[in-house]
Amino acid sequence: MQEGKNLLDILEQTKKAIQKEDTATIKNLSDRTNNTVAKTHDPDNITLAVIIYAMSKIIERRQYRNYPGWNKFYKNVNVYFDKLIYCLRQKNEECFSETLKLIRAEIDNLSGKLRRYIQDVFRKAEINKASKIYEHGISLEKTAKLLGITMYEVAGYSGQSGIIDETINKISAKSRIKIAMEFFK
Amino acid sequence: MKILIFDSSTLISLVMNGLFEEIRQIKKIFDGKFLITKEVKNEVIDRPLNIKRFELEAIKIQELLDDKTIVMPEELKIDSSEISRKTYEVLELANNCFLSNGKEIHLIDAGEASCIALSKHLNEKKIENLMCIDERTTRNIVESPEDLKSFLQKKIHSRIEIKKNRLEYFSGLKIIRSAELVYVAWKKGAIKSRDKKVLDAMLWAVKFKGCSISEDEIREIQKI
Repeated sequence: MQEGKNLLDILEQTKKAIQKEDTATIKNLSDRTNNTVAKTHDPDNITLAVIIYAMSKIIERRQYRNYPGWNKFYKNVNVYFDKLIYCLRQKNEECFSETLKLIRAEIDNLSGKLRRYIQDVFRKAEINKASKIYEHGISLEKTAKLLGITMYEVAGYSGQSGIIDETINKISAKSRIKIAMEFFK
Repeated sequence: MKILIFDSSTLISLVMNGLFEEIRQIKKIFDGKFLITKEVKNEVIDRPLNIKRFELEAIKIQELLDDKTIVMPEELKIDSSEISRKTYEVLELANNCFLSNGKEIHLIDAGEASCIALSKHLNEKKIENLMCIDERTTRNIVESPEDLKSFLQKKIHSRIEIKKNRLEYFSGLKIIRSAELVYVAWKKGAIKSRDKKVLDAMLWAVKFKGCSISEDEIREIQKI
């Protein structure tokens, strides 16, 4: 666990935003984790970034609340968020890591459609976070490995989301074409 | 003998657009070999073969290996384990070049590093080669580390230091992208249609599947 103070602030604000169902704030808070993740590659930071982003989507989709298992899931996630805050205040890394695992395990405890939908939200949250890390200058392959997803997923999402529009090119496209054409002579 | 080294990112941009036949046609007009390393094979074939969503792409790339459109280093009597050993040297160098608050930023991984290792190996043997890399970070480490430093500073919001002496290793390496490959294929008749609209469509298609090319660059290529 790195940048504990920053994470504590993010978590405390996320907890409040979840209670207010303020999904825009939750997404912004999730984005605040991107810098830390890109710099440190810390697995707990990565997991937390994914969880916060996924929560913004889960809260946004009000229809999930009608499915069996929702109340227990929502209640438990809130309890785990309190525990994450507690672990950070105690500077207890092991407790923090274990609690993150418990949140992920909570999805496995679900059943039926809600389980499928929330699994899908988490999967998409992983791809979204991966594209944000790629946007921060970490390579495609490294990013895919950090999030445990395939390069195909990161490439496809990044290509369509416009993330790679911000290219750095010392060599112009024209010069690169020249190199390619000469190589194929 | 000329060698075109494919990174995972390039193969992904091409195959996710279903351009398998086009890869075969480009190979036919090329007086050389298309190579992938063991590490790249792992990323584009071995791992996705076990993931239903990308199994088909993996099988189709395997077919390119089976019909020798793409070959492994052993085809040129290059020992893959030697490239793997050099890959770790590249990883060690590349991932210790950029520092944020004194801590190294690990920028690249084994597949990307293996392409650099293979290209360096071929350079040592005086074999003309080019790397085809669509993802921008590896390309920037090789071509424009100072610009990458500025980019990282802007994105990570912290001061970045570069160990310049380590970057010398990457000089003299040449890179193109799937976009340039598509242009060569179109220009040299490896693609049936001579319609510029087809070129335009292919350039956008590879961009949408991850080729790091800007709209301005696409416009620049269209004007050539």
